[in-house]
Amino acid sequence: MSKKKLKEVNELGFLIKFGSGIALSILLIPVFIVVLTGLNSGDHLTFPPKGLSLRWIFAFFKSEEFLSAFLFSFGLALIVMALSTIFGTLAAIFITRFNFPGVQLLRALFLSPLILPGIVLGLALYIFYVSTDIGLARSYPGMVIAHMLVTMPYVIGTVSASLFNFDLNLEQAARSLGASPLTAFRKVTLPNISNGVMAGSVFAFIVSFGQFDVSLFMATPNNTPLPIALYWSLRYTFEPTAAAAGIFAIALVVISMLITSKLVNLQKFSGVKFD
Amino acid sequence: MDDTKDNKNFLKFFYTYRPVLLVLPALILFIIFFIIPVVSLFVLAFDKPVTGVLSLQGEWTFKSFIRIYNRSLYFNAAVTSVSLAALSSLITLVIGYPLAYLIAKTENVARNTFLMILVLCAMQLDMVIRLFGLMVLLGDNGLINGALMYFKIIEKPIGLMYNKLGVLIGLVQFSLPFMILSLIGIIRGISPAVVEASRSLGATPNQAFWKIIIPLSMPGILAGTLLVFAISISSYIVPALMGGWKVMVMPLHVYQQIAEMGKWQFGSAIAVVLFCTSLISVIVYQKVAIRIGGGRA
Repeated sequence: MSKKKLKEVNELGFLIKFGSGIALSILLIPVFIVVLTGLNSGDHLTFPPKGLSLRWIFAFFKSEEFLSAFLFSFGLALIVMALSTIFGTLAAIFITRFNFPGVQLLRALFLSPLILPGIVLGLALYIFYVSTDIGLARSYPGMVIAHMLVTMPYVIGTVSASLFNFDLNLEQAARSLGASPLTAFRKVTLPNISNGVMAGSVFAFIVSFGQFDVSLFMATPNNTPLPIALYWSLRYTFEPTAAAAGIFAIALVVISMLITSKLVNLQKFSGVKFD
Repeated sequence: MDDTKDNKNFLKFFYTYRPVLLVLPALILFIIFFIIPVVSLFVLAFDKPVTGVLSLQGEWTFKSFIRIYNRSLYFNAAVTSVSLAALSSLITLVIGYPLAYLIAKTENVARNTFLMILVLCAMQLDMVIRLFGLMVLLGDNGLINGALMYFKIIEKPIGLMYNKLGVLIGLVQFSLPFMILSLIGIIRGISPAVVEASRSLGATPNQAFWKIIIPLSMPGILAGTLLVFAISISSYIVPALMGGWKVMVMPLHVYQQIAEMGKWQFGSAIAVVLFCTSLISVIVYQKVAIRIGGGRA
Protein backbone atom coordinates (compact mmCIF):
# COMPACT_ATOMS: atom_id res chain seq x y z
CA MET A 1 0.00 0.00 0.00
CA SER A 2 1.40 3.38 -0.94
CA LYS A 3 2.08 6.01 1.67
CA LYS A 4 -0.45 8.31 0.12
CA LYS A 5 -3.25 5.80 0.61
CA LEU A 6 -2.27 5.22 4.22
CA LYS A 7 -2.40 8.94 4.87
CA GLU A 8 -5.84 9.10 3.31
CA VAL A 9 -7.12 6.33 5.58
CA ASN A 10 -5.88 8.28 8.55
CA GLU A 11 -7.40 11.51 7.31
CA LEU A 12 -10.77 9.90 6.74
CA GLY A 13 -10.61 8.13 10.10
CA PHE A 14 -9.68 11.42 11.74
CA LEU A 15 -12.59 13.22 10.08
CA ILE A 16 -15.04 10.56 11.27
CA LYS A 17 -13.66 10.63 14.81
CA PHE A 18 -13.59 14.42 14.92
CA GLY A 19 -17.19 14.63 13.68
CA SER A 20 -18.30 11.96 16.13
CA GLY A 21 -16.67 13.93 18.93
CA ILE A 22 -18.65 17.03 17.96
CA ALA A 23 -21.92 15.08 17.80
CA LEU A 24 -21.31 13.43 21.18
CA SER A 25 -20.46 16.82 22.71
CA ILE A 26 -23.67 18.36 21.43
CA LEU A 27 -25.64 15.41 22.80
CA LEU A 28 -23.95 15.19 26.19
CA ILE A 29 -22.64 18.63 27.21
CA PRO A 30 -26.10 19.99 28.14
CA VAL A 31 -26.62 16.92 30.33
CA PHE A 32 -23.28 17.40 32.09
CA ILE A 33 -24.10 21.07 32.67
CA VAL A 34 -27.35 20.11 34.40
CA VAL A 35 -25.45 17.73 36.67
CA LEU A 36 -22.81 20.40 37.40
CA THR A 37 -25.47 23.04 38.14
CA GLY A 38 -27.23 20.70 40.53
CA LEU A 39 -23.99 19.96 42.37
CA ASN A 40 -22.39 23.43 42.38
CA SER A 41 -22.14 25.41 45.60
CA GLY A 42 -22.97 28.87 44.20
CA ASP A 43 -26.44 30.32 43.65
CA HIS A 44 -26.13 29.53 39.96
CA LEU A 45 -23.53 27.97 37.72
CA THR A 46 -21.00 30.59 36.60
CA PHE A 47 -17.65 30.54 34.89
CA PRO A 48 -15.36 29.70 36.63
CA PRO A 49 -17.41 27.29 38.82
CA LYS A 50 -17.26 27.88 42.55
CA GLY A 51 -17.10 24.37 43.96
CA LEU A 52 -19.17 21.31 44.67
CA SER A 53 -21.83 20.80 47.30
CA LEU A 54 -24.97 18.82 47.95
CA ARG A 55 -27.00 21.84 49.09
CA TRP A 56 -29.24 21.84 46.00
CA ILE A 57 -29.87 18.10 46.28
CA PHE A 58 -31.12 18.70 49.84
CA ALA A 59 -33.05 21.74 48.65
CA PHE A 60 -34.75 19.50 46.08
CA PHE A 61 -35.85 17.04 48.77
CA LYS A 62 -37.37 19.94 50.70
CA SER A 63 -38.87 21.68 47.67
CA GLU A 64 -42.64 21.47 47.53
CA GLU A 65 -42.66 22.43 43.84
CA PHE A 66 -40.12 20.04 42.30
CA LEU A 67 -40.27 17.04 44.61
CA SER A 68 -44.04 16.76 44.30
CA ALA A 69 -43.80 17.17 40.51
CA PHE A 70 -41.12 14.46 40.39
CA LEU A 71 -43.22 12.06 42.44
CA PHE A 72 -46.33 12.93 40.42
CA SER A 73 -44.51 12.11 37.16
CA PHE A 74 -43.10 8.91 38.63
CA GLY A 75 -46.52 7.66 39.74
CA LEU A 76 -48.14 8.70 36.47
CA ALA A 77 -45.43 6.92 34.47
CA LEU A 78 -45.95 3.71 36.50
CA ILE A 79 -49.71 3.69 35.88
CA VAL A 80 -49.28 4.57 32.20
CA MET A 81 -46.64 1.86 31.84
CA ALA A 82 -48.90 -0.81 33.34
CA LEU A 83 -51.94 0.11 31.23
CA SER A 84 -49.99 0.64 27.99
CA THR A 85 -48.16 -2.66 28.42
CA ILE A 86 -51.40 -4.61 28.85
CA PHE A 87 -53.35 -2.86 26.07
CA GLY A 88 -50.34 -2.72 23.76
CA THR A 89 -49.19 -6.32 24.20
CA LEU A 90 -52.67 -7.71 23.52
CA ALA A 91 -52.99 -5.52 20.43
CA ALA A 92 -49.52 -6.54 19.22
CA ILE A 93 -50.43 -10.24 19.53
CA PHE A 94 -53.53 -9.65 17.44
CA ILE A 95 -51.70 -7.65 14.79
CA THR A 96 -48.89 -10.16 14.33
CA ARG A 97 -50.87 -13.40 14.73
CA PHE A 98 -54.21 -13.02 13.02
CA ASN A 99 -54.84 -12.31 9.42
CA PHE A 100 -58.04 -10.30 9.65
CA PRO A 101 -58.73 -7.85 6.85
CA GLY A 102 -57.42 -4.39 7.63
CA VAL A 103 -54.79 -5.54 10.11
CA GLN A 104 -52.14 -3.40 8.40
CA LEU A 105 -54.40 -0.38 8.69
CA LEU A 106 -54.81 -1.13 12.40
CA ARG A 107 -51.04 -1.30 12.80
CA ALA A 108 -50.64 2.07 11.10
CA LEU A 109 -53.35 3.52 13.36
CA PHE A 110 -51.60 2.33 16.53
CA LEU A 111 -48.24 3.75 15.44
CA SER A 112 -49.64 7.08 14.23
CA PRO A 113 -49.41 9.01 17.54
CA LEU A 114 -45.65 8.93 16.90
CA ILE A 115 -46.01 11.11 13.82
CA LEU A 116 -48.73 13.46 15.03
CA PRO A 117 -47.13 16.60 16.53
CA GLY A 118 -47.52 16.26 20.31
CA ILE A 119 -49.02 19.71 20.70
CA VAL A 120 -51.68 18.93 18.04
CA LEU A 121 -52.64 15.69 19.81
CA GLY A 122 -52.71 17.48 23.17
CA LEU A 123 -54.92 20.22 21.75
CA ALA A 124 -57.26 17.74 20.01
CA LEU A 125 -57.74 15.82 23.27
CA TYR A 126 -58.20 18.99 25.30
CA ILE A 127 -60.88 20.26 22.91
CA PHE A 128 -62.54 16.84 23.04
CA TYR A 129 -62.48 16.76 26.86
CA VAL A 130 -63.82 20.30 27.20
CA SER A 131 -66.52 20.07 24.54
CA THR A 132 -67.88 16.66 25.58
CA ASP A 133 -67.83 17.76 29.22
CA ILE A 134 -67.32 14.23 30.57
CA GLY A 135 -65.14 15.38 33.43
CA LEU A 136 -61.82 14.53 31.78
CA ALA A 137 -60.61 18.08 31.10
CA ARG A 138 -57.65 18.89 33.34
CA SER A 139 -58.16 15.67 35.27
CA TYR A 140 -55.81 12.85 36.24
CA PRO A 141 -57.58 10.15 34.15
CA GLY A 142 -57.55 12.55 31.21
CA MET A 143 -53.78 12.85 31.48
CA VAL A 144 -53.34 9.07 31.83
CA ILE A 145 -55.29 8.55 28.59
CA ALA A 146 -53.19 11.17 26.76
CA HIS A 147 -49.97 9.51 27.91
CA MET A 148 -51.27 6.05 26.95
CA LEU A 149 -51.78 7.24 23.37
CA VAL A 150 -48.16 8.36 23.03
CA THR A 151 -46.59 5.40 24.85
CA MET A 152 -48.56 2.50 23.32
CA PRO A 153 -46.80 2.77 19.92
CA TYR A 154 -43.52 1.93 21.67
CA VAL A 155 -45.01 -1.16 23.37
CA ILE A 156 -46.73 -2.34 20.18
CA GLY A 157 -43.55 -1.75 18.14
CA THR A 158 -41.20 -3.67 20.46
CA VAL A 159 -43.62 -6.51 21.22
CA SER A 160 -44.51 -7.10 17.56
CA ALA A 161 -40.80 -7.13 16.69
CA SER A 162 -40.15 -9.89 19.24
CA LEU A 163 -43.25 -11.81 18.07
CA PHE A 164 -41.97 -11.67 14.49
CA ASN A 165 -38.66 -13.15 15.62
CA PHE A 166 -40.34 -15.94 17.57
CA ASP A 167 -40.49 -19.35 15.89
CA LEU A 168 -44.17 -20.29 15.66
CA ASN A 169 -43.25 -23.97 15.29
CA LEU A 170 -42.37 -24.07 18.98
CA GLU A 171 -45.90 -23.08 19.93
CA GLN A 172 -47.37 -25.55 17.44
CA ALA A 173 -45.17 -28.30 18.89
CA ALA A 174 -46.65 -27.60 22.32
CA ARG A 175 -50.16 -27.66 20.79
CA SER A 176 -49.52 -30.99 19.09
CA LEU A 177 -48.40 -32.42 22.43
CA GLY A 178 -51.81 -31.58 23.83
CA ALA A 179 -51.49 -28.10 25.29
CA SER A 180 -54.51 -25.82 24.92
CA PRO A 181 -53.93 -22.65 22.84
CA LEU A 182 -53.84 -20.54 25.99
CA THR A 183 -51.45 -22.88 27.82
CA ALA A 184 -49.17 -23.11 24.81
CA PHE A 185 -49.09 -19.34 24.57
CA ARG A 186 -48.52 -18.85 28.29
CA LYS A 187 -45.85 -21.54 28.73
CA VAL A 188 -44.00 -21.34 25.42
CA THR A 189 -44.56 -18.04 23.62
CA LEU A 190 -44.81 -15.62 26.54
CA PRO A 191 -41.43 -16.55 28.12
CA ASN A 192 -39.83 -16.07 24.70
CA ILE A 193 -41.27 -12.62 24.09
CA SER A 194 -41.07 -11.44 27.71
CA ASN A 195 -37.87 -9.48 27.00
CA GLY A 196 -39.64 -7.56 24.26
CA VAL A 197 -42.61 -6.88 26.52
CA MET A 198 -40.35 -5.63 29.30
CA ALA A 199 -38.31 -3.45 26.94
CA GLY A 200 -41.56 -1.99 25.61
CA SER A 201 -42.76 -1.19 29.10
CA VAL A 202 -39.46 0.47 30.02
CA PHE A 203 -39.85 2.69 26.95
CA ALA A 204 -43.46 3.42 27.91
CA PHE A 205 -42.31 4.47 31.38
CA ILE A 206 -39.53 6.76 30.21
CA VAL A 207 -41.57 8.34 27.39
CA SER A 208 -44.37 9.12 29.83
CA PHE A 209 -41.91 10.41 32.45
CA GLY A 210 -40.32 12.86 29.99
CA GLN A 211 -43.52 13.78 28.18
CA PHE A 212 -44.04 17.50 27.71
CA ASP A 213 -46.11 18.18 24.60
CA VAL A 214 -49.34 16.31 25.35
CA SER A 215 -49.19 17.28 29.04
CA LEU A 216 -49.12 21.00 28.25
CA PHE A 217 -52.90 21.40 27.88
CA MET A 218 -53.67 18.84 30.60
CA ALA A 219 -51.68 20.17 33.55
CA THR A 220 -53.24 21.95 36.55
CA PRO A 221 -51.62 23.19 39.78
CA ASN A 222 -52.64 19.87 41.37
CA ASN A 223 -51.58 17.73 38.41
CA THR A 224 -48.15 19.02 37.41
CA PRO A 225 -45.70 16.57 35.84
CA LEU A 226 -41.99 17.31 36.24
CA PRO A 227 -41.35 18.58 32.66
CA ILE A 228 -44.16 21.13 33.03
CA ALA A 229 -42.93 22.26 36.47
CA LEU A 230 -39.39 22.66 35.09
CA TYR A 231 -40.74 24.58 32.09
CA TRP A 232 -42.61 27.10 34.23
CA SER A 233 -39.58 27.70 36.42
CA LEU A 234 -37.20 27.92 33.43
CA ARG A 235 -39.23 30.70 31.89
CA TYR A 236 -38.13 33.01 34.66
CA THR A 237 -34.91 31.76 36.26
CA PHE A 238 -32.35 28.96 36.33
CA GLU A 239 -32.90 27.39 39.72
CA PRO A 240 -30.22 24.93 40.79
CA THR A 241 -33.00 23.07 42.64
CA ALA A 242 -34.55 22.35 39.24
CA ALA A 243 -31.16 21.02 38.07
CA ALA A 244 -31.03 18.77 41.15
CA ALA A 245 -34.43 17.37 40.12
CA GLY A 246 -32.91 16.95 36.65
CA ILE A 247 -30.07 14.83 38.08
CA PHE A 248 -32.59 12.30 39.39
CA ALA A 249 -34.42 12.29 36.06
CA ILE A 250 -31.11 11.70 34.25
CA ALA A 251 -30.32 8.78 36.58
CA LEU A 252 -33.74 7.29 35.83
CA VAL A 253 -33.17 7.52 32.05
CA VAL A 254 -29.68 6.00 32.27
CA ILE A 255 -30.97 3.09 34.39
CA SER A 256 -33.88 2.52 31.97
CA MET A 257 -31.60 2.42 28.94
CA LEU A 258 -29.15 0.05 30.69
CA ILE A 259 -32.07 -2.29 31.42
CA THR A 260 -33.21 -2.02 27.78
CA SER A 261 -29.73 -2.90 26.53
CA LYS A 262 -29.85 -6.10 28.62
CA LEU A 263 -33.32 -6.99 27.31
CA VAL A 264 -33.02 -6.41 23.59
CA ASN A 265 -30.13 -6.38 21.15
CA LEU A 266 -29.40 -2.71 20.60
CA GLN A 267 -27.24 -3.58 17.60
CA LYS A 268 -30.35 -4.69 15.76
CA PHE A 269 -32.13 -1.54 16.79
CA SER A 270 -32.19 0.88 13.89
CA GLY A 271 -34.35 3.79 13.04
CA VAL A 272 -36.84 5.26 15.42
CA LYS A 273 -39.34 2.49 14.99
CA PHE A 274 -38.65 -0.84 16.50
CA ASP A 275 -39.26 -3.16 13.60
CA MET B 1 -84.47 -26.68 19.75
CA ASP B 2 -84.06 -23.31 18.13
CA ASP B 3 -82.35 -22.12 21.25
CA THR B 4 -79.51 -24.63 21.08
CA LYS B 5 -79.01 -23.84 17.42
CA ASP B 6 -78.72 -20.17 18.24
CA ASN B 7 -76.28 -21.01 20.97
CA LYS B 8 -74.25 -23.10 18.58
CA ASN B 9 -74.14 -20.28 16.09
CA PHE B 10 -73.15 -17.89 18.77
CA LEU B 11 -70.37 -20.19 19.96
CA LYS B 12 -69.10 -20.65 16.44
CA PHE B 13 -69.11 -16.89 15.94
CA PHE B 14 -67.42 -16.42 19.29
CA TYR B 15 -64.65 -18.89 18.55
CA THR B 16 -63.97 -17.50 15.08
CA TYR B 17 -63.81 -13.89 16.20
CA ARG B 18 -62.45 -14.44 19.70
CA PRO B 19 -58.99 -13.08 18.77
CA VAL B 20 -60.65 -9.71 18.09
CA LEU B 21 -61.13 -9.42 21.86
CA LEU B 22 -57.35 -8.98 22.12
CA VAL B 23 -57.33 -5.80 20.12
CA LEU B 24 -60.67 -4.44 21.29
CA PRO B 25 -59.47 -2.48 24.37
CA ALA B 26 -56.74 -0.69 22.39
CA LEU B 27 -59.03 -0.12 19.42
CA ILE B 28 -61.84 1.40 21.52
CA LEU B 29 -59.32 3.65 23.27
CA PHE B 30 -57.93 4.83 19.93
CA ILE B 31 -61.33 5.41 18.34
CA ILE B 32 -62.70 7.46 21.24
CA PHE B 33 -59.56 9.32 22.28
CA PHE B 34 -57.56 9.54 19.08
CA ILE B 35 -59.65 9.38 15.91
CA ILE B 36 -62.66 11.32 17.17
CA PRO B 37 -60.60 14.16 18.78
CA VAL B 38 -58.33 14.58 15.73
CA VAL B 39 -61.32 14.61 13.37
CA SER B 40 -63.08 17.12 15.63
CA LEU B 41 -60.02 19.34 15.53
CA PHE B 42 -60.25 19.40 11.72
CA VAL B 43 -63.98 20.09 11.85
CA LEU B 44 -63.45 22.94 14.30
CA ALA B 45 -60.78 24.49 12.08
CA PHE B 46 -63.33 24.83 9.26
CA ASP B 47 -66.06 26.21 11.53
CA LYS B 48 -66.97 29.88 11.74
CA PRO B 49 -64.47 31.51 14.14
CA VAL B 50 -66.08 33.01 17.27
CA THR B 51 -63.79 34.11 20.09
CA GLY B 52 -64.40 32.30 23.38
CA VAL B 53 -66.92 29.87 21.91
CA LEU B 54 -66.01 26.23 21.49
CA SER B 55 -69.35 24.72 20.53
CA LEU B 56 -69.99 23.99 16.87
CA GLN B 57 -71.44 26.89 14.83
CA GLY B 58 -72.16 24.70 11.82
CA GLU B 59 -71.18 27.36 9.30
CA TRP B 60 -68.40 26.01 7.15
CA THR B 61 -65.80 28.51 6.10
CA PHE B 62 -62.16 28.86 5.13
CA LYS B 63 -61.97 32.13 7.09
CA SER B 64 -59.34 30.91 9.57
CA PHE B 65 -57.08 29.61 6.82
CA ILE B 66 -57.43 32.79 4.77
CA ARG B 67 -56.51 34.76 7.90
CA ILE B 68 -53.33 32.68 8.38
CA TYR B 69 -52.40 33.39 4.76
CA ASN B 70 -53.22 37.10 4.84
CA ARG B 71 -51.88 38.18 8.21
CA SER B 72 -48.11 38.54 7.96
CA LEU B 73 -47.81 37.63 11.67
CA TYR B 74 -49.04 34.11 11.03
CA PHE B 75 -47.70 33.71 7.53
CA ASN B 76 -44.22 34.71 8.73
CA ALA B 77 -44.52 32.24 11.60
CA ALA B 78 -45.16 29.49 9.07
CA VAL B 79 -42.15 30.61 7.01
CA THR B 80 -39.96 30.75 10.14
CA SER B 81 -41.16 27.29 11.19
CA VAL B 82 -40.38 25.75 7.82
CA SER B 83 -36.99 27.44 7.39
CA LEU B 84 -35.79 26.62 10.93
CA ALA B 85 -36.88 22.99 10.53
CA ALA B 86 -35.16 22.74 7.12
CA LEU B 87 -31.92 24.23 8.49
CA SER B 88 -32.10 21.94 11.48
CA SER B 89 -32.34 18.84 9.28
CA LEU B 90 -29.35 19.91 7.16
CA ILE B 91 -27.17 20.67 10.17
CA THR B 92 -28.08 17.47 12.02
CA LEU B 93 -27.23 15.52 8.88
CA VAL B 94 -23.72 16.97 8.67
CA ILE B 95 -23.11 16.59 12.40
CA GLY B 96 -24.87 13.24 12.79
CA TYR B 97 -23.38 11.32 9.86
CA PRO B 98 -19.85 10.79 11.28
CA LEU B 99 -21.17 9.41 14.59
CA ALA B 100 -23.71 7.18 12.82
CA TYR B 101 -20.90 5.88 10.59
CA LEU B 102 -18.66 5.24 13.61
CA ILE B 103 -21.42 3.34 15.46
CA ALA B 104 -22.35 1.32 12.37
CA LYS B 105 -18.74 0.31 11.78
CA THR B 106 -17.90 -0.47 15.43
CA GLU B 107 -17.72 -4.26 15.59
CA ASN B 108 -16.84 -4.51 19.26
CA VAL B 109 -20.19 -5.35 20.91
CA ALA B 110 -19.47 -3.64 24.23
CA ARG B 111 -18.32 -0.39 22.59
CA ASN B 112 -21.21 -0.45 20.15
CA THR B 113 -23.75 -0.96 22.94
CA PHE B 114 -22.10 1.81 24.97
CA LEU B 115 -22.39 4.31 22.11
CA MET B 116 -26.00 3.26 21.43
CA ILE B 117 -26.88 3.75 25.10
CA LEU B 118 -25.37 7.26 25.00
CA VAL B 119 -27.45 8.20 21.95
CA LEU B 120 -30.63 6.64 23.37
CA CYS B 121 -30.16 8.34 26.75
CA ALA B 122 -29.73 11.69 25.02
CA MET B 123 -32.90 11.01 23.02
CA GLN B 124 -35.09 9.80 25.89
CA LEU B 125 -34.06 12.45 28.42
CA ASP B 126 -36.78 15.01 28.98
CA MET B 127 -36.15 17.90 26.53
CA VAL B 128 -36.81 20.53 29.21
CA ILE B 129 -33.85 19.21 31.21
CA ARG B 130 -31.58 19.24 28.15
CA LEU B 131 -32.72 22.81 27.44
CA PHE B 132 -31.87 23.81 31.00
CA GLY B 133 -28.27 22.76 30.27
CA LEU B 134 -28.21 24.57 26.93
CA MET B 135 -29.61 27.75 28.47
CA VAL B 136 -27.02 27.76 31.25
CA LEU B 137 -24.39 27.34 28.53
CA LEU B 138 -25.66 29.95 26.06
CA GLY B 139 -27.37 32.64 28.16
CA ASP B 140 -26.08 36.22 28.54
CA ASN B 141 -24.69 35.30 31.95
CA GLY B 142 -24.03 31.76 30.76
CA LEU B 143 -20.86 29.72 30.63
CA ILE B 144 -19.75 30.66 27.10
CA ASN B 145 -20.31 34.38 27.51
CA GLY B 146 -18.92 34.17 31.06
CA ALA B 147 -15.73 32.48 29.86
CA LEU B 148 -15.27 34.87 26.93
CA MET B 149 -15.67 37.88 29.20
CA TYR B 150 -13.48 36.34 31.90
CA PHE B 151 -10.63 36.02 29.43
CA LYS B 152 -11.42 39.53 28.09
CA ILE B 153 -12.11 38.27 24.58
CA ILE B 154 -15.41 40.16 24.45
CA GLU B 155 -16.73 43.01 26.55
CA LYS B 156 -20.47 42.57 26.23
CA PRO B 157 -22.26 39.21 26.05
CA ILE B 158 -23.06 38.00 22.54
CA GLY B 159 -26.64 36.96 21.89
CA LEU B 160 -26.56 33.18 21.62
CA MET B 161 -30.17 32.62 22.60
CA TYR B 162 -33.56 34.32 22.74
CA ASN B 163 -33.11 34.61 18.96
CA LYS B 164 -33.27 32.38 15.88
CA LEU B 165 -29.73 31.12 16.42
CA GLY B 166 -30.67 29.88 19.88
CA VAL B 167 -33.79 28.10 18.57
CA LEU B 168 -31.71 26.48 15.83
CA ILE B 169 -29.08 25.24 18.30
CA GLY B 170 -31.89 23.84 20.47
CA LEU B 171 -33.55 22.10 17.51
CA VAL B 172 -30.25 20.50 16.48
CA GLN B 173 -29.68 19.23 20.03
CA PHE B 174 -33.27 17.93 20.10
CA SER B 175 -33.28 16.09 16.79
CA LEU B 176 -29.69 14.84 16.46
CA PRO B 177 -30.40 11.39 18.04
CA PHE B 178 -33.27 10.80 15.57
CA MET B 179 -30.96 11.55 12.65
CA ILE B 180 -28.24 9.24 13.99
CA LEU B 181 -30.68 6.36 14.53
CA SER B 182 -32.11 6.80 11.01
CA LEU B 183 -28.62 6.62 9.50
CA ILE B 184 -27.09 3.71 11.46
CA GLY B 185 -29.30 1.00 9.94
CA ILE B 186 -28.66 1.98 6.33
CA ILE B 187 -24.90 2.45 6.79
CA ARG B 188 -24.66 -0.97 8.47
CA GLY B 189 -26.56 -2.46 5.52
CA ILE B 190 -23.93 -1.37 2.99
CA SER B 191 -22.05 -4.50 2.01
CA PRO B 192 -18.29 -4.28 2.73
CA ALA B 193 -17.79 -6.26 -0.50
CA VAL B 194 -18.94 -3.27 -2.57
CA VAL B 195 -16.40 -1.02 -0.89
CA GLU B 196 -13.66 -3.64 -1.25
CA ALA B 197 -14.49 -4.05 -4.93
CA SER B 198 -14.07 -0.33 -5.53
CA ARG B 199 -10.79 -0.38 -3.59
CA SER B 200 -9.44 -3.30 -5.62
CA LEU B 201 -10.30 -1.37 -8.79
CA GLY B 202 -8.02 1.40 -7.60
CA ALA B 203 -10.24 3.80 -5.69
CA THR B 204 -8.59 5.55 -2.75
CA PRO B 205 -10.35 5.36 0.65
CA ASN B 206 -11.50 8.94 0.15
CA GLN B 207 -12.98 8.13 -3.26
CA ALA B 208 -14.61 4.98 -1.90
CA PHE B 209 -16.20 7.00 0.90
CA TRP B 210 -17.54 9.85 -1.23
CA LYS B 211 -18.42 7.85 -4.36
CA ILE B 212 -19.64 4.56 -2.86
CA ILE B 213 -20.63 4.87 0.80
CA ILE B 214 -22.31 8.27 0.71
CA PRO B 215 -24.46 7.52 -2.42
CA LEU B 216 -25.44 4.14 -0.94
CA SER B 217 -26.55 5.81 2.32
CA MET B 218 -28.77 8.21 0.38
CA PRO B 219 -32.06 6.55 1.41
CA GLY B 220 -31.08 6.88 5.09
CA ILE B 221 -30.00 10.47 4.53
CA LEU B 222 -33.35 11.31 2.93
CA ALA B 223 -35.34 9.48 5.61
CA GLY B 224 -33.36 11.13 8.41
CA THR B 225 -33.71 14.67 7.06
CA LEU B 226 -37.47 14.27 6.53
CA LEU B 227 -37.97 12.83 10.01
CA VAL B 228 -35.93 15.60 11.62
CA PHE B 229 -37.88 18.19 9.63
CA ALA B 230 -41.17 16.74 10.91
CA ILE B 231 -40.14 16.66 14.57
CA SER B 232 -38.39 20.05 14.45
CA ILE B 233 -41.39 21.85 13.00
CA SER B 234 -43.65 20.28 15.66
CA SER B 235 -41.55 21.28 18.66
CA TYR B 236 -43.17 23.69 21.09
CA ILE B 237 -40.70 23.57 23.95
CA VAL B 238 -37.53 24.44 22.01
CA PRO B 239 -38.74 27.73 20.47
CA ALA B 240 -40.63 28.61 23.67
CA LEU B 241 -37.50 28.41 25.84
CA MET B 242 -34.60 29.04 23.45
CA GLY B 243 -36.46 31.80 21.59
CA GLY B 244 -37.94 33.36 24.73
CA TRP B 245 -41.21 33.98 22.80
CA LYS B 246 -39.31 36.33 20.47
CA VAL B 247 -39.09 33.79 17.66
CA MET B 248 -42.72 33.04 16.85
CA VAL B 249 -43.33 29.68 15.18
CA MET B 250 -46.58 27.78 14.54
CA PRO B 251 -46.68 25.66 17.75
CA LEU B 252 -46.35 28.82 19.88
CA HIS B 253 -49.25 30.47 18.04
CA VAL B 254 -51.38 27.36 18.55
CA TYR B 255 -50.86 27.55 22.31
CA GLN B 256 -51.31 31.31 22.46
CA GLN B 257 -54.57 31.35 20.46
CA ILE B 258 -56.12 28.60 22.58
CA ALA B 259 -54.77 29.13 26.09
CA GLU B 260 -54.49 32.91 26.14
CA MET B 261 -57.06 34.23 23.67
CA GLY B 262 -59.75 31.56 23.59
CA LYS B 263 -59.76 31.55 19.78
CA TRP B 264 -60.57 27.88 19.45
CA GLN B 265 -61.34 27.76 15.74
CA PHE B 266 -58.34 29.84 14.69
CA GLY B 267 -55.95 27.94 16.98
CA SER B 268 -57.25 24.67 15.53
CA ALA B 269 -56.68 25.98 12.01
CA ILE B 270 -53.00 26.73 12.79
CA ALA B 271 -52.73 23.25 14.33
CA VAL B 272 -54.17 21.76 11.13
CA VAL B 273 -51.64 23.63 8.98
CA LEU B 274 -48.85 22.44 11.29
CA PHE B 275 -50.14 18.87 11.19
CA CYS B 276 -50.40 18.81 7.40
CA THR B 277 -46.91 20.27 6.89
CA SER B 278 -45.38 17.62 9.13
CA LEU B 279 -47.62 14.88 7.70
CA ILE B 280 -46.44 15.53 4.15
CA SER B 281 -42.80 15.04 5.15
CA VAL B 282 -43.71 11.93 7.18
CA ILE B 283 -45.55 10.36 4.23
CA VAL B 284 -42.53 10.91 2.00
CA TYR B 285 -40.38 9.52 4.85
CA GLN B 286 -42.42 6.32 5.01
CA LYS B 287 -42.31 5.86 1.25
CA VAL B 288 -38.52 6.15 1.46
CA ALA B 289 -38.36 3.87 4.52
CA ILE B 290 -40.38 1.17 2.74
CA ARG B 291 -38.01 1.38 -0.21
CA ILE B 292 -35.06 0.92 2.14
CA GLY B 293 -36.73 -2.10 3.76
CA GLY B 294 -37.52 -3.62 0.39
CA GLY B 295 -34.06 -3.04 -0.99
CA ARG B 296 -32.26 -4.73 1.85
CA ALA B 297 -31.56 -8.45 1.60
